[in-house]
Amino acid sequence: MLEARAFEPDFLRRLDGLVLGIQRARTARSGRRMIGRVQGSGIETENFREYTEGDDLRFLDWNAFARLDDLMLRTFRAEREIEVTVLVDASASMGLPREDDKLGLALGLAASLAYVAMASNDAVRLGIFTSARHGGAQLETTPFHRRREVYPAFRPFVGAVRCTGDTRMAEAAGKLLLDRRPAGAVALISDFLVGAGEYEQALSSLLSGRHEVKVIHVLGEREANGAYPPGNYRIRDSESGELCEVALGAGAAQACRQRAERLSSELAAFCAAHGIVYVRAFGASLFDEIVMREFPRLGVVR
Amino acid sequence: MGLLNPRNLVYLTSLAVLIAIYLRARAKPTLEVSSLMLFDEIAAPVVSSRVLRTDLLFWLEMAALGALSMALAGLYIRAAQPAARHEHHALVFDLGAGMGARDSNGTTRLDEARRAALRRLGAARPGDSFSVVSYALEATVSQSPSTHLDDVRRAVKALNPTGLPARPAAMRAALMRARGATEIDVYADRPPQGDALNAAGPGAHVRFHQVGSPAENLAVAALETGTDGVLPGRVIVRNFSDRPRLCELAVDLDDERVQRTTIVLEPRGQDVVLFGPLKHGGVVRARILTPDALAADNNRWAYAPGAKPDKVLVLSPDPDVRDDLARILLAVNENLIVTAADPAKFQVTRTQRYRLAVIHDSYDPGVDAAARLIVFPQPWLEHSPPPLGQLPVVGTVTMAEMQERGEGQQLSEPLQLSPARILALPRWLEVVARGTDAGSNGSFPLAAFGYDMRGAVGVISFSPRDHLLLDPDKLEALVLTVDLVKRLLAPQDLQLASTGDSVSVPATGTAKIIAPDGSLRSEAADEMGRVRLRLAQAGRYEVDSAGTKAVIYANYFDAAESDLSAALPAASPQAAGATETAFAAAPGPIQLTPLSPWLIALALAAMLWESALLARRALRWRAG
Repeated sequence: MLEARAFEPDFLRRLDGLVLGIQRARTARSGRRMIGRVQGSGIETENFREYTEGDDLRFLDWNAFARLDDLMLRTFRAEREIEVTVLVDASASMGLPREDDKLGLALGLAASLAYVAMASNDAVRLGIFTSARHGGAQLETTPFHRRREVYPAFRPFVGAVRCTGDTRMAEAAGKLLLDRRPAGAVALISDFLVGAGEYEQALSSLLSGRHEVKVIHVLGEREANGAYPPGNYRIRDSESGELCEVALGAGAAQACRQRAERLSSELAAFCAAHGIVYVRAFGASLFDEIVMREFPRLGVVR
Repeated sequence: MGLLNPRNLVYLTSLAVLIAIYLRARAKPTLEVSSLMLFDEIAAPVVSSRVLRTDLLFWLEMAALGALSMALAGLYIRAAQPAARHEHHALVFDLGAGMGARDSNGTTRLDEARRAALRRLGAARPGDSFSVVSYALEATVSQSPSTHLDDVRRAVKALNPTGLPARPAAMRAALMRARGATEIDVYADRPPQGDALNAAGPGAHVRFHQVGSPAENLAVAALETGTDGVLPGRVIVRNFSDRPRLCELAVDLDDERVQRTTIVLEPRGQDVVLFGPLKHGGVVRARILTPDALAADNNRWAYAPGAKPDKVLVLSPDPDVRDDLARILLAVNENLIVTAADPAKFQVTRTQRYRLAVIHDSYDPGVDAAARLIVFPQPWLEHSPPPLGQLPVVGTVTMAEMQERGEGQQLSEPLQLSPARILALPRWLEVVARGTDAGSNGSFPLAAFGYDMRGAVGVISFSPRDHLLLDPDKLEALVLTVDLVKRLLAPQDLQLASTGDSVSVPATGTAKIIAPDGSLRSEAADEMGRVRLRLAQAGRYEVDSAGTKAVIYANYFDAAESDLSAALPAASPQAAGATETAFAAAPGPIQLTPLSPWLIALALAAMLWESALLARRALRWRAG
């Protein structure tokens, strides 16, 4: 699966030089004491404390140790921080076509963004949304993680994601806002195979919560191109279960391509109108190119 | 229309397989997709609930498989053969003795048939070919198919009635020889027996012409010479008409009149006329002087041995066999002086010469005899030189069955005999009876006759022990023995046989043969110094070779053939005298035309069409 790519050391090394592109001013949180990596001149020493087992030895104050013969640890206070939430659509539609590994692409991109966001000592969490059995949306998120050393903690969550249920994007956005977290950045990764009203409501909700929203539109190569084997088929919607008979062939493939393009352009237009960064990720084979070229080009990362 | 190999219709199950494949293909697979949104703009499929789609590929494959299956099953059509411009006809003639019967105008039945055939030839279209086949004892092609009608006419005119009975089997053989002819005309003097005309093959157009009208006939059925000076001879005369007939009968001995008498024969009755006893031996001839329709059965010849008391020796280790053989010899010629002896006790006397020596189950002790009859020869010890005059014994069977006498004349049912020797006969011996045993695969000779340097030799390979020759249930064995004895006692330059028999006569170089009808022909002697001839006519044959003359008398009598009152069909005789009956004329020749080449061509065309369609679709798909 493609999400494993986001945890490969050589891939992560290529991400080391990137930071999350946040356009708004970071929110300074006074009185909040954070322990994190020194990240340039923006970090100020806040206090000292006694060394306890497990602390990072790099923050030992060797001068104090020389003078006082006690192991003292310097602590810093982050000058600015932002909470980054990467939301992945885990509805049934993300699991199809299986050959396209659309969910793997979405999870890989989400994990990559999380890793990049950790470079700024930002608090990052991953979340998935789908529909609950009893109805309504189901939103699952990880705890916030700030340091890249704990980046592998995302891996069990990423690996456990299974596609099921409907796409309840608007309800999931509403649930996210109910957490009453401070405004941060929300990256929404989905195939957006829902009605325009659904994703417009979801994105509008996130914007109303003062979140900086980034939309990553994933589609599989096969469904984007309509490259199904020719013949007469009875097709079934993975989420609604609705059936339809179609004759697939060259003409049908053309119609599918046009429909995917129209869906993408409508979403992009809405995003452009609302200052949302829109990234089109059509095809799992383009994963590296999207992360390394498209994300920087569109300002998702810098 | 029919099938040559109906079992191959099993290949039609491939059609069921094809239909199953198409039905399965027609069942649309369900494809699960992320969302139907992406398929919104696809045109509505042209899928309906029709049972069979009008898919051209499907019908092409159906046609190819169906055509190949029917080709394998051998589909053919039956059609009447189109009328050929040049047709082949066969003229089949009965040459049995009855065809020589004359009507009141002196015209033979064969003449009538000949005239009808010549009229048929006269009506032939240019280019038609004719063949001429005749039959009596066997079928003979007198003229192979020819368009030269003059040759055919000559062949028809050259036909002569024989002194033989016409056998139904020969008629069937003749019709088989005529197969392939468009029309077969059969000319005979009596209706065919049973389904004999079916031998012409299915669909053959056979026209049967019955010639002649019922006629009265008298025949000499048998002639016995009696014993010179002792027993009178007798002649059996038979009347084949439905009314009483006067019959003037003459009996001659060596062309000297012995008796001339007139008797009245009751309708379909027979009478025995006694004559003699004869004063001396010679050739006895009985002849009917009353004119009748058929002449072939009005004469009969027999040989009367002389009153000279010839000496005959019988050697056998079994006293019963000695006694039986002596009785038979005396029955053949009462004047014989028979000496019977046990070979173990018999002493050869150089000065004693016998007319005949009968040697049973023992070696020839070197008896001086003019003729010898070897019965159940004794095998000689292995690796020892064969005794003088001994025949090579190949083996012994425990129970022999006689199956045929003469030349291929099958007995009505096999006659069980006794143990018999299997002999490797030299070529100079002519086999006169054959048989087999239950365990063997082939037949072997049971009796033979021939001449070697010492004189006439007869051979009987079965054992006459246990009074076999006197068993009334095995009369054929006694008749065979009596015939052999008669031939052994007859002079070498005189033979009496029945018409149809093959006889051989000693000859040097080329022999001239004068047939009873006066025709002359030459025949070269074979390597054994003998001329062989088949007696087709009744009467006197004369064979002249290097100044040596031999005479053969051929007797003819066949109760069925001599009966000339065979009923004609209900139709009235036509002016020509021949009544025509058409058999199997309706359907005409049927031709079976196999359709396999056309079916295979159809299958190939369907497959090529299908390939072209597939290629065009592939190009269109690639372009799309």
